[in-house]
Amino acid sequence: MPPKGKAAPKPKASEAKATQPSSSKKQPAANTPPATIAELSQLRLDESRPFDAVRRKQGLSALSRDEQTTWYAARFARQPAHARNRVPIKTQRELWRQVNEASIGLRALRDHTTKWGLAASPVVTSGGDVGGLSIEAFGEWSERRLRLTALEVASRAFRERRERARRGETEGKDRVVVTETDVDDEKERRREMAEVRQKLYGVVTGRFALDPEWDDVVPIPHEEPDGALAVIAYPAEYAEAISYLRAVMASKEYSDRCLRLTETIIEMNPAHYTVWLYRAAIIQALKLSIPYEMEWLNKVALDNLKNYQIWHHRHLLVDSYYPTIAEDAEATKEFGAAEQAFLTRILAEDAKNYHVWSYRSYLVDKLGMWDDPGELAAVEDLIDADVRNNSAWSHRFFLVFSHPARSTPGVAATEPDPAAPSEIVDREVSYAKDKIVLAPQNQSPWNYLRGVLVKGGRKLAEAEEFSSQFVVGLGEGGGREEVTSTHALDLLAEIYAEKGDKERADLCLRRLGEKWDRIRVGYWEWRRKCLN
Amino acid sequence: MADEARPTVLDVERQLKYWKMCLRSPLPEVYQSNEANRLALAYFIINSITILTPPTADRHTLEPIISPAERKQLRQWVLSHQHPGGGFSGSTSLVFPLATYDEWDFEAGSRALEHSGLANIAATVFALQLLALLADDGNPGVAFRGVDRVRTLRWLRRLQRDDGSFGEVLRYLPTRGWFIAGGYDMRYCYVATLIRWMLRGNVKEGEPGWVEDFDTERLAQYILRSQTYDGGFAGRASVEPHAGYAYCAISALSLLDRPIENSISSHPSNILHTGIRDKSTLTHWLASRQFVYLQPSSGDSDVDEEDEVNFTLPNSLADLSLDDNLRYVGFNGRCNKVADTCYCWWVGAALYTLDEAELISWEPSRRFLLEKMQHRIGGFGKHPGSPPDLYHACFGLAILAVMGEKGLQPLDSSLAVPIETVRTIEAARRQLLDAEKEDSKTNVLARSALQMGLNLAGKKPAWLTDVSV
Repeated sequence: MPPKGKAAPKPKASEAKATQPSSSKKQPAANTPPATIAELSQLRLDESRPFDAVRRKQGLSALSRDEQTTWYAARFARQPAHARNRVPIKTQRELWRQVNEASIGLRALRDHTTKWGLAASPVVTSGGDVGGLSIEAFGEWSERRLRLTALEVASRAFRERRERARRGETEGKDRVVVTETDVDDEKERRREMAEVRQKLYGVVTGRFALDPEWDDVVPIPHEEPDGALAVIAYPAEYAEAISYLRAVMASKEYSDRCLRLTETIIEMNPAHYTVWLYRAAIIQALKLSIPYEMEWLNKVALDNLKNYQIWHHRHLLVDSYYPTIAEDAEATKEFGAAEQAFLTRILAEDAKNYHVWSYRSYLVDKLGMWDDPGELAAVEDLIDADVRNNSAWSHRFFLVFSHPARSTPGVAATEPDPAAPSEIVDREVSYAKDKIVLAPQNQSPWNYLRGVLVKGGRKLAEAEEFSSQFVVGLGEGGGREEVTSTHALDLLAEIYAEKGDKERADLCLRRLGEKWDRIRVGYWEWRRKCLN
Repeated sequence: MADEARPTVLDVERQLKYWKMCLRSPLPEVYQSNEANRLALAYFIINSITILTPPTADRHTLEPIISPAERKQLRQWVLSHQHPGGGFSGSTSLVFPLATYDEWDFEAGSRALEHSGLANIAATVFALQLLALLADDGNPGVAFRGVDRVRTLRWLRRLQRDDGSFGEVLRYLPTRGWFIAGGYDMRYCYVATLIRWMLRGNVKEGEPGWVEDFDTERLAQYILRSQTYDGGFAGRASVEPHAGYAYCAISALSLLDRPIENSISSHPSNILHTGIRDKSTLTHWLASRQFVYLQPSSGDSDVDEEDEVNFTLPNSLADLSLDDNLRYVGFNGRCNKVADTCYCWWVGAALYTLDEAELISWEPSRRFLLEKMQHRIGGFGKHPGSPPDLYHACFGLAILAVMGEKGLQPLDSSLAVPIETVRTIEAARRQLLDAEKEDSKTNVLARSALQMGLNLAGKKPAWLTDVSV
């Protein structure tokens, strides 16, 4: 402040010259109206600090000597008192005289008013700076800021009220309560806050942060350390959900909202093994209905045919559900039938799905569905639809030869089992033969035929006549040799070896390598060596 | 279409370009489903780069793709997945801040451990393989420094089920208690034998560093029982055989009695050669996985129907006997399924471990890989014409390396890392065990010093209050 009693006189016309630097008239920019809020503030700043504006744009030398003195005097006068007092009193007086004479406005704007900070990029064009907004757009932007502040205040009030309700506080005579309407209003409020924030700052608010239900959970975001490999560019929603998953897993929460959280994550990444196990634990802890869970799982399975975890989860569900119905034959049967129906449906999408077949064999064993006619019929339907469906053939072998009533415990799949009834072996041999005739070069029924003969403790020679129909004129020249199934020739080689006819076995193997199955020549030659 | 005159070669530069891209830039969103198995992805990347850069003279003159400083940093990253109770998690998102584990009692297996399901058997093996692959050239022995060997081996034991098989994770379930989760999957059995071979060593009972072994006999019996009626292997004998599981069964059996030191020459595995019930049918089943790949007729070449496009059946067998048709031979994983790059590995490497690799015709399969599966941008796809992905690209290279492709590092068919890296593992295991012995010696010294102090002073000196006798 200037010394008391020496109020600055009104600037006279002659003195006005000094307050407006002569060179500023050269600035054409001053004539065009400001387009953005940053330009407007710059203009105001320049008006309040005329000499600074010239110095900034053109340098100190653009000012006349007098103007330079005035600029310095103004700088001096704007300094705080303690800084001014470092200058000798005499000099101070001289400077104040100059300030008064030049009639310099001491209440100039400060420079940092031009720095506006960042806004959402769609709002502004100039590198995200709010200063780039047009004056009109800035008005809108400010209104949004006000709106956001108001919403934040209301949201904080909601949280406080909820906290008071939790503590059982009273309001006059009544207890503080948070109604469902309050929660809905808060959800709506947060939705609006998220929208405004997005418009103002370009920030996306995650769905869990939006939901008042999750306010008490402090998410544990996962930080990627330096030098991480195989970083996956997954969306922000996934990262948010995982950070909440980590938090509830760490606090061992088993609740309905956690169940919903697992569903959200499974939708985004069904291969996440941890989330499935956590889901299984929640279902057990809350004793939730397993049939209901399986119904939900059916849909997930149909949407994710190649997924492994879904089937492991189903496995776990059956493990805990079956004991509750095991005593009730009717309920077990009903459950088995429902599972069969679902398996038929999913195998219609992918008839060789490994996980589905793997689960199917587990189910047969668990529920004891060995004599269920629907099981064998389902397999036959699939083989009729595609005789090359090796998964179906494998399941058939299991269903027929692992039946507890006609198999010996501990006997391996590749070993003969005296408990296998002869009529069943005969039935399976003719089933395989019927299917071979449909497509002789299909290896599945050939493997099955051989497997059944071994299992039944039969000689492979039982299939000699049958196999021979696919091989004509073996070893004869002149184009008379005709083979319609390399697998027949392969089995015949084994049959001849079994009968001790090494020469004939060798011929089969040699012709396989020479002509009928040349890609495996190394293998057939090895088999020839094994004959001796 | 391949140019008839052009010799079939592996384009090492193009392959490296693909892998460098995978190493340096984030993976696209299609890999999101692997988010919980990121160590597997990291293994595919580092293993492939190692296979592609044999330790020839120019490796030392050229700038290495992964610098020594970077290797160290990556090893730290791998170690950051280690679970405080032993084993590794598959992704950093499954590693909790350490404070979360404060009240846990790992040895007692208390309920506080409910979420120890975060350590995963497959992630653990990938972590160990990665640490070895990322070892320093000059000092391979330090590769496993920081691995909690004892806890990991103890945790591994707890993953074995009563029937001898292994699960993938441990989980506490409210009604079941401790539960070994994971399907009946031969992969876990294989991985268990790998972890055991990499970490356990020949430590005698009572010696420092001794950890009780899992039941190897029971595991072997479980695996051997899983042979199917047609000779292959499945997760259980009740399911269809699968080449991936056959590989795992064979490799697991060979690892069970693999020598601990100087293991790179093939060993006459007892269990493998005398234990398998029907070995000749197994060979038959493996050899049957090869089939002639016929070009799909021009009309449907764009169709990407998995089951149709590369499984064209010949009109008659006589068509197959022409030389031209020997040009491309693919592998499938199950009978009557389509050709897929990874089955070249699962079947080829299994036969190699059985010492029967010469039974298959490698040249037409090699041509199939290089001309039909190798992609323009490098890497290998799943089916002819598919874009490359980390898994198929890695195993395409791996089988070429096993079969001795020029310009690649030779690969160990059952450990699935280059033979050089197997030497690193042996050295790293030795050093880890030596360090444990050293530690226990220090403890013995401290104890005898304490005893001496007690004898002299008649009471525990104040400066030794922290040491318990």
